[in-house]
Amino acid sequence: MSSLALERQIRPIYDALDSGSHKSAIVTCNKLLKKHPKNEHLKALKALALTRAQKFEEAIALCEEVLATKPTDEGTINALMHALRHLGRYADLVKLFEDAFKQQPDNDELGRQAFFANVRAGNWKAAQLLANRLNKQFHNDRYVFWGIMCTVLQANDPMTAVDMREILLKLAHRLILASWKPSEAHADRLYLYITILQQLGLYKDAREVLETESGRFLCSRNIACDYLRRDIMKAGGWQKEEAEVAKQRILEKRDRNWLEFLSVLDATFLPSTLSNGTHHESSSSLPSDFAQHKEKTRELFAKVVEEDGSHDRAGWLGLMELEKLSTTHGVPSDASRLLDLLKRYFDIFGDKTACYEDLRPYTDLDSDSSSDWITFLEDSTKSSGTALRRSINAHKFLRYGLDKARLTVDQESSRVVNLVDEYFEALPLGRDLPKLELQPADDLAILAAQVYVNMFALDNTVAHLHNAVVLLEYASKKSPQSYQIHLELIRIYRLLGAPQPALDHYRLLNVKQIQNDTLSYLILSRSTSFSLAATGDLTYASECLESSHIYFSNSQETAEFVVKAFSMENAFQVPELVVFEERLDNSLQRDLVKIEHVRLRISHEPITTELVDMELIELKFIFDRQHHDNRDLGILPNYQPRGLPSFQSQTTLFGREPAAGWLSAFLKIYIKALSAASDLDPSVEDDKLLIGDRPRQSYSPDASIPLAERLAVHTTEELEELTEDELALFRYMTDLTDWLDPIHNFLRPRPETAKQTAKNDVSSNDGASSIEQGKKPEDAPPVTEPPESILAYFKNSHAKFSRAVEERRPIHEILHIATLAQEASESVILSIRFKDSSVVRINKLGLLVQHIKNLRAGAVEAVGQIGAQLTKISELEGTLDKRKQFVENCKALQAHDEITHEHVLDLGKKLTDSQKKVMEGVGRGIERVCK
Amino acid sequence: MSIIRPFKADDLFKFNNINLDIWTETYGLGFYFNYLSRWPDMCCTAQHPSGRLMGYVLGKAEGSQNDFHGHVTALSVAPEYRRLSLARVLMNFLETVSDDVYGGLFVDLYVRCTNTIAMELYEGLGYSVYRRVREYYGSLGLGPGGKDEEDAFDMRKPLSRDPYRRSVRPNGRDMIVSAHDVS
Repeated sequence: MSSLALERQIRPIYDALDSGSHKSAIVTCNKLLKKHPKNEHLKALKALALTRAQKFEEAIALCEEVLATKPTDEGTINALMHALRHLGRYADLVKLFEDAFKQQPDNDELGRQAFFANVRAGNWKAAQLLANRLNKQFHNDRYVFWGIMCTVLQANDPMTAVDMREILLKLAHRLILASWKPSEAHADRLYLYITILQQLGLYKDAREVLETESGRFLCSRNIACDYLRRDIMKAGGWQKEEAEVAKQRILEKRDRNWLEFLSVLDATFLPSTLSNGTHHESSSSLPSDFAQHKEKTRELFAKVVEEDGSHDRAGWLGLMELEKLSTTHGVPSDASRLLDLLKRYFDIFGDKTACYEDLRPYTDLDSDSSSDWITFLEDSTKSSGTALRRSINAHKFLRYGLDKARLTVDQESSRVVNLVDEYFEALPLGRDLPKLELQPADDLAILAAQVYVNMFALDNTVAHLHNAVVLLEYASKKSPQSYQIHLELIRIYRLLGAPQPALDHYRLLNVKQIQNDTLSYLILSRSTSFSLAATGDLTYASECLESSHIYFSNSQETAEFVVKAFSMENAFQVPELVVFEERLDNSLQRDLVKIEHVRLRISHEPITTELVDMELIELKFIFDRQHHDNRDLGILPNYQPRGLPSFQSQTTLFGREPAAGWLSAFLKIYIKALSAASDLDPSVEDDKLLIGDRPRQSYSPDASIPLAERLAVHTTEELEELTEDELALFRYMTDLTDWLDPIHNFLRPRPETAKQTAKNDVSSNDGASSIEQGKKPEDAPPVTEPPESILAYFKNSHAKFSRAVEERRPIHEILHIATLAQEASESVILSIRFKDSSVVRINKLGLLVQHIKNLRAGAVEAVGQIGAQLTKISELEGTLDKRKQFVENCKALQAHDEITHEHVLDLGKKLTDSQKKVMEGVGRGIERVCK
Repeated sequence: MSIIRPFKADDLFKFNNINLDIWTETYGLGFYFNYLSRWPDMCCTAQHPSGRLMGYVLGKAEGSQNDFHGHVTALSVAPEYRRLSLARVLMNFLETVSDDVYGGLFVDLYVRCTNTIAMELYEGLGYSVYRRVREYYGSLGLGPGGKDEEDAFDMRKPLSRDPYRRSVRPNGRDMIVSAHDVS
C-alpha cells in the first residue's frame, strides 16, 4: 500500500482521539498494525490512545518500544510526546527529542523541543548547554537569553551546592554583560539582568543599569521591573534617593501606591550612618535632625490628606504609620495626635469594612487615650440607620481592645445579646437588595458567633455553640452568599461532632481547583474520626481523592506554562512558575490528605499485598519530601480580643492543627506497619516500581541517612502536634513493629527471589518453598514475649473511652479515642505472613502465632466493646429529649420573632441526627471490623 | 493604602478571600498561567499592608491591527475591600499599559447584564456598551428571568489612539450577537 493510502487510513485515528473516543482509536490502530506491524507512527498513536484510556501499563511498554527506535518523523514524535507528557515521563521526553535532534542536527525545531523537554524536567544544566549549542548553530538572541535564564535557575535550585551557586551566577553575569544592548533592551531582559546583579549583591551596578535612559524608560512601563528597582534601592542603602522618587510620584503623579509611602517612611527612619558607612549598633540611633525629617514627612502626608480628603486612605494611614514608627523607635510624640488621627479616620472611613483592618495596628494606645477611644467608639455604636457599617466597625474595635478582666462569661453574654439585637434591627436595611448581594448586617451575626465561641472556650458549655448555629444558620438563609458564615458554621459543626452539616456548608463554598489545596483542611483534617468508611460510606475517601486532582493538574499543566513563559522570554514569571510548581507538588496538605486516605482505605478495604506494597512505596516517597504549607489558615474571620487565641485556633479540634510534625509521625507509623507486612525488600529502589506518573524527587537534606534510622527518631515537633491518643497509637505502633521486625525481616524473601518470582511467574502457590529458597540458612530469631505496653494499649484505650463517655466529653473526642483504637487493632492484621501454616511450622513460630492470636483477641475484645458501647450511646442522641434540650438552650434567641420555633427545632433535629449518625456509624463500623 | 504590585503565581494560594465570593470564578491553573506567561505586565494584584490580598486584574492584548486592544479578563475585589475605589485603580493600571505599552485603540470587557453594580462602576470609568452577547456566561441558577444573567454586555472605552471614538457606539445595548461571534 502506498504511504498516501496509509495516511488516509491514519486520519480517522486522529479524529477519534480528538473527539475523545479512545476505544475506537485503539481498535483502528490494532487493525492497521496487523497490516503494518512495524509502523512506529501507528504504535505511537496507539500508545497515546492507551494513555488517554488510562491503560498506563500497556501504554508505557509501547512508549518504550517506540522510544527505542529513536523516531525522527514528525507524526510519531508528536504522538509520543503527548503520550509521555500525559504519563509524566519527563525524562523519556528528553530522550525522545535529544535523540531526534542528534539525528537531525540542522532541525531548529527539534533542538527547541529538546530544550523544552529539559525545561519540563527541570534539568537546568542540560537545558543551558543545549541553549548554547542552539545559539552557536542557529544564531538567535533568544537562545542566549534562554541559556542565561537556565543558569540562574540552576543556581537557585536547592539541589545545587552552595559553592556552585556563586560560580553559576557569575557565569550568568558574564553572559548577560556580553549580550546586553541597552538600545535594544526590553523589560524581560532588564529584569533578568537586574536579578542576576541583585543575587550577586552588585547593587551599584544594578542601579547604574536602572538609571540609564533605557532602564528608566522600561521601569516606567513595567510594573515588575519597577518593583525590583525599589528592592535594589533599598538593598543598596539608597533609601533617601528612593524617597525623593516616591515623593515626586506622590505629589506630581498622584500615585497612591502604598509602596511609595513606605519608601518615604523608610528614609524618615533611616538610622544615622558612621563615616565608614556602617550602621550604628543600636537600632534606635536616629540622626540628630530626625525631628526635622519627621516633620517634613508629616507635612507631605498632610498635604496628601488635604488633597484627597475621603477619596483615598493612603495619606491618613501614612500619618498614623509615622506616629507608630516614631513610638517603636523610641521617640513617641504627643499621644493625643494618634488618637486624633484615629477618630478623624473613623469619621471619614468608618463606613468601610476595611476600616477595622486599616486601623487595628494603631490602636495599642496608652491608658488615657485608650479610654477616650473607647468612649468615642461606644458613642459610634448607638447610632443606627445609615451608620450600620460604622457601628459594626466600632463593635469590632471595642471587642479587639477588651482585656481579660472584661471577658467573663456573663460579660460576654450581655455583649452577645446586644449584637444579636442590633443584627435583627439592622436586617431590614438589606431587605431590598438582590439575592446575590451580601447583607450589610452579616458582620453582626459573624461577630456574635465569635462571642459565643469564646464563651464556649471559657466554660465548655455546648449551649453557646448551639446558639451560634441557630443564629448563623438564620443569617446564612438571609445572606446565602456569605462565605464567612459558611466558614464559621463548618468550624462550629465539627466542634459539635456533626460532620454532615459541616460538609454541607463546605460544599456551598464551591471549593474548586487550587482552592482544594488551600481550603480542604477545613473538612479533611483528622477526618478519619468522622468517617463511616468501615460501614461502606465512602464520603470522606472520595472527598480526599477529589481534592487531590489538583496535584495531577499541576504536574501535567504547570511545566507547559514554564515552557510557554520561556518561549515568551518572560523573565519575571519563569522563576515564579517554577517555584509554584514545586510548592504545590510538595504541598503539606496534599500528603496530610494522603495519610487520611490511607487510614480510611485500611479501615474498609480488604488488605492485599498490592495495597500494602503500593501504599508503602508512595509513603516512602512522600517521607523524603520537603513540604510547603499552602493552607489558607487566615481565611477564617477573627474578631477575638487581642491576647486571646484566634477564632481559628479556638475552633481547631483538640486545639492543634496537624502540620509537618503530625504528618511525619503518621508517615512513620504507616511506613513501619506497611514495611513489616510487605515483601518488598527495603534495598530495592522504590521509584522504579512506581507505575505511570513518576513524580519528581524533591530535595531532602536527610535523604542520605538510612530510612530505618530516620524512622526511629522521634522529634519534639512530631510529638507536640499529636493528641494524647495519637501519641499512644504512635508509641504502640513503635513497640509493635520493634517487637516483630526481627522476625519479619528474617521471613521476607531476598530481593533476588522476589524479583525472580515476579518475573518468571513461577507458580508460587507454595509460598513457603520460595521463601525458603532465598533464605539465609540460619534459624529464625528467637520469639520474645510481646512488650507489656502493646497488651496494655487496648485495655487503656477502652478504659479511656469509657471514662470519656462517663464524663460526657465532646463527641469528637469520644470518636477520636474509638477510631484510633480501631486503627491500632487493624495494624495487627496488616501482615498475612503468619497465616501460612507451613511458614509457621518450618520456622518454629508456633509460640509467636500464639502471642499474636492473644494480642488480636485482646484487641478485638476491647475495641469490639468500644464499638458496641458507641453504638449503644448513639441511641441517646437524636432523640426527642436531645432536640428539646437544644431548643431549650436557644430559648433566648427565640425572643426574636424572626427565629421561629420551627427554625430552631429543625436545626436541633439536623444537628442531633448528624451526631447520632456519626456515632452509630463509627460504632457499627468498629463492630464490623472486629467480627 | 494598597500595595499595587505584579500578580505572582503564588497569589493563587492566597486569593481565597477574593475568589470565594459568588461573582468571582476560580479557574484551572492553566487559565491563570496562560495570562501570567503571555501578558505578565497586564496582571496586577492589590495587597493590604496586613498581607491580605485585596483584589486583582488579569488582562491581555488582542485583536488585529484595526482593532488591537486591551481586554480585561478578570477584575475582582474581595467583599471586605469594596467601596475603596480599588477597581478604579486596577482598571487605570490596565488602561495605562494597554495605551502606553501595547498601543491599543481601546480597552474592552464583558459583564453580566444582571451585574448592575459592576456596570455602573464601568460607566463611571468611561466605558459604554458596545454590544450584547447572548449566552456568554454559564447560569448562576436563578431560575426564571435568567436571560439577563447569561447574557453579557461587551463594554469599551477608547484610548488615546482613538481620539474620534471610533471604537464605541451609542446604541450598543441593541446590538445583539451570539457568543459564537466573539472571541
